Amino acid sequence: MKFIIFAGTPGSGKTSIIKYIIQELKNDSKLFFAKFDCLQTLDNERITQEHKIPAVKKLSGELCPDHYTALEIPKIIKENQDKDIIILETAGLCLRCSPYVKEGLGVNVLDITSGDPSRYGPILTEADIVAISKGDLISQAEREIFRAKVLKVNPKAKISEVNGLTGEGAIDIAEFIKESPVIKNENLTLKHSMPSALCGYCYGNRIIDEKEEHQRALAGKELKNLVPGLNCGKCGFKSCNEFIRAVLDGKAKKEQCPFIKQ
Amino acid sequence: MREEINKITILPGINKFGENERFEKIDIKKGQVVAIVGHTGAGKSQLLYDLERLAQKDTKSKRKILVNDEVPDKELRFNPKRKLIASLAQSMNFFTDMSVGDFLQLHLESRGKKSKKGLIKEVIDETNKITGETISPKMNLLNLSGGQSRALMVSDVANISISPIILIDEIENAGIRKEEAIKILVEEGKIILIVTHDPSLALSADKRIIIKNGGVVKILNTSLKEKGIAHYLNWIENYGLDIREKIRKGEEIKNVEIYCEPIKSKNKIQI
Repeated sequence: MKFIIFAGTPGSGKTSIIKYIIQELKNDSKLFFAKFDCLQTLDNERITQEHKIPAVKKLSGELCPDHYTALEIPKIIKENQDKDIIILETAGLCLRCSPYVKEGLGVNVLDITSGDPSRYGPILTEADIVAISKGDLISQAEREIFRAKVLKVNPKAKISEVNGLTGEGAIDIAEFIKESPVIKNENLTLKHSMPSALCGYCYGNRIIDEKEEHQRALAGKELKNLVPGLNCGKCGFKSCNEFIRAVLDGKAKKEQCPFIKQ
Repeated sequence: MREEINKITILPGINKFGENERFEKIDIKKGQVVAIVGHTGAGKSQLLYDLERLAQKDTKSKRKILVNDEVPDKELRFNPKRKLIASLAQSMNFFTDMSVGDFLQLHLESRGKKSKKGLIKEVIDETNKITGETISPKMNLLNLSGGQSRALMVSDVANISISPIILIDEIENAGIRKEEAIKILVEEGKIILIVTHDPSLALSADKRIIIKNGGVVKILNTSLKEKGIAHYLNWIENYGLDIREKIRKGEEIKNVEIYCEPIKSKNKIQI
């Protein structure tokens, strides 16, 4: 089974280009499509109607949509063992999270009119493939400059120019998907740590003041500078972020981290 | 390293109704200028797009493009440092918020070229030859008018995106001096394709491809007579431009002196 994640800001043309990619792949492979969003989406129904492939919608509601995506991935894989390719489209709201997995393929659909690529975090820098959309709106000179800027922040990326209206470029992405590795039944790992719940707002507080929330966030930031970011597990927690949270909550001591001790 | 291009070939695809295009192949050789004509929405720009992408049956039209009789390799299609094709599209706006000088510098770098001293100035000087309102390197890209943007793009294609194949989409609509622009772009040994509605441009090309309903329906070689007609039409147009200039200066136009200028050509042409 191949596992492909499409991420990109809303309106960048993810769903449009995915439709054309599905068109290219569906004759040779058994496909499954999962669409993640926050509040509402009909994309799954449209894909099923147009291409006769099974699809599901996942709405994150109160949770961060990218974190929710990571939480739901194991279930999607388990339920679709008979499929050749799973295509997952994220809500694409956060430039920071990007739930790409190391074992699969990460595709960033990047709107060429959306500004300087250096503003983007892991959604672009950790992508295996960057599909640049809406290139027909600007001059060739700007397209070339944009491409060079993308390569500056993500030198390993394979770049393809796509057009969600006409489907141009979809065949290239389909080729990349065909060449991508197969995932085995092992645990998947995120390419990048998602932001940690360090401040009170992550827990649902609504009051904006200088006191408690600020203190907690500051202490969290300080600890973040001290830990190695290796997620080695020697402190007893699965990740550095989880450890920091426990320290802030008073459930762990910072000396539990062997690197801080030194 | 620059690849030597002697010929590009267009192999037929399908039109908007899914019917096969009825031509065997279109060969365009080094040094030729080809016009692409047809009604608005007929699919002229699609053919340019196919050429720019060096389409391999992977665009809407399912056409296939060969370079020197061979399927071009992927690097050639997508890496701007090896790209064979420079194009001037219909879109005339810039999105990047920076000065003209910085922009040209960046474009040079993204093409993997070292900045030659004075090149940026050359690009700007040449831009100013074809636009009415002059630009300077310090001006912001976003503040350029449609005509200025287009003129800058023309000069960029001629001086920075130097490529053996040039694609031009409706240059006559840009509010620039089209003749000057073509002169700057057309160099010996290049392959040039122009999408146009302009009769004198179309007739001054070596051949023209006629497009209808998304498909090529006819390919014509320009006759000597047609070239003569192009020359004549051009003369009339220039006469009109002179009058425009007078109007812009606030002069009153009292009478029109139309007379036919003898054609300066070695070949005798009858009109």
